[in-house]
Amino acid sequence: MDKKKITVIICCAGMGTRLGIGTTKALVNINGKPLILHQLELLDQYDDIRIVLGYQAERVISVVTKYRNDIMFAFNYDYKNTGAAASLSKALPGAREYVVSMDGDLVVHPQNFKEFLDYNGECIAVSDCNSDEPVHIDVENSKVVRFSKNGKYEWPGLVKIQSGRLTPHSGHTYEMLNTVLPIDVLHVQTRDIDTPDDYDRAVAWVEAGYERTGGKNE
Amino acid sequence: MSEYIFLFDLDSTISKKEILPTISMRIGKLEKMRELTEATMRGEIPFRTSFLNRVKILTPVNVSEVNALVAEIPLNEAISQFIRENRERCYVLTGNLDVWISGLMRKIGMDQHVYCSKAEVREDRITQVISVVDKELMAKQFVQPLVVIGDGDNDSGMAKYADIAIGFGGVRNIAPSLLRNIDYAFYDDIRCAEFLKSLL
Repeated sequence: MDKKKITVIICCAGMGTRLGIGTTKALVNINGKPLILHQLELLDQYDDIRIVLGYQAERVISVVTKYRNDIMFAFNYDYKNTGAAASLSKALPGAREYVVSMDGDLVVHPQNFKEFLDYNGECIAVSDCNSDEPVHIDVENSKVVRFSKNGKYEWPGLVKIQSGRLTPHSGHTYEMLNTVLPIDVLHVQTRDIDTPDDYDRAVAWVEAGYERTGGKNE
Repeated sequence: MSEYIFLFDLDSTISKKEILPTISMRIGKLEKMRELTEATMRGEIPFRTSFLNRVKILTPVNVSEVNALVAEIPLNEAISQFIRENRERCYVLTGNLDVWISGLMRKIGMDQHVYCSKAEVREDRITQVISVVDKELMAKQFVQPLVVIGDGDNDSGMAKYADIAIGFGGVRNIAPSLLRNIDYAFYDDIRCAEFLKSLL
């Protein structure tokens, strides 16, 4: 897919309180580097990247602009009262034909992520259940048909969708997406880091070169 | 097409260098100017007091000389280009003095689209400052939906009345008070101009 057709939105407004370290998750250290830089390294060839900030916005800006300064920052200071969809909505004005939305706490297999970005058209990433409090996904005929409480897969918060099909929303991102399903499914290996256990698993996984280790069900 | 009117701060938003410090450097008064400018950006001295003191520093210089120097200040090219291409919808709102910035305003096509402070001049010297612009009051007077772009503490007031408030940190860091009042921040002039175009 033409990279010029894509706007990438990374949502990192929240506090990450469940992780219990007083740092926004974008700045959590994964193998010597803040998580946000791991993500940006995988996006080197993309030129419309938007990062939504709230908690510790200045710290994140300072880290990110040292790496590259052609980022658009959007602000959701009401992050305590709104869901991730509010952050995503805030970054939508003037977006290109396709929007890739990802959570700021996502650790993703680099090769899988590339496949996801290159996938020709809309798609939703699914992964095996790794995290302690997942959003589940039901898949039928290679398409995501609904977000659910006990589907077979977990949604790692990664989606690529036509920007014109998104309507601003203030709740959860999956509520925003519910109205536009079904969408093609793409399996990716991920770890997210909501809790200290998640964090340990993610670090072990990255250290092992993204080998399949450390997942809860493995 | 949107109805937005675009309201730009001048110093470090349109200009690639800070105007008054750059002029002061030419006459060897940089340090004093720098001190006052920094304290103002941090919001420690009210803009009006600080501005009057900064004007005093430059009073011994001929107005025509300052005007010519200001007109040569390097600009953020993509942002200036946006202004030139959309001049009917753009306005400059700056605390700087009419008699100092008129050359620069002509250069970017904003000579009829600027709200600024005013001074009286006799024999090419400033005799007195007549008015110091209050950006918040000025912004409040616009009846069309507003996009504002600035970087300093004194841009927070106009950000309050904006439908979309943008911070530009490409020249100096966006003042913390402003960062709390904006919707978007850019640190690259080209990306900022691209976004402005998407709002046209």
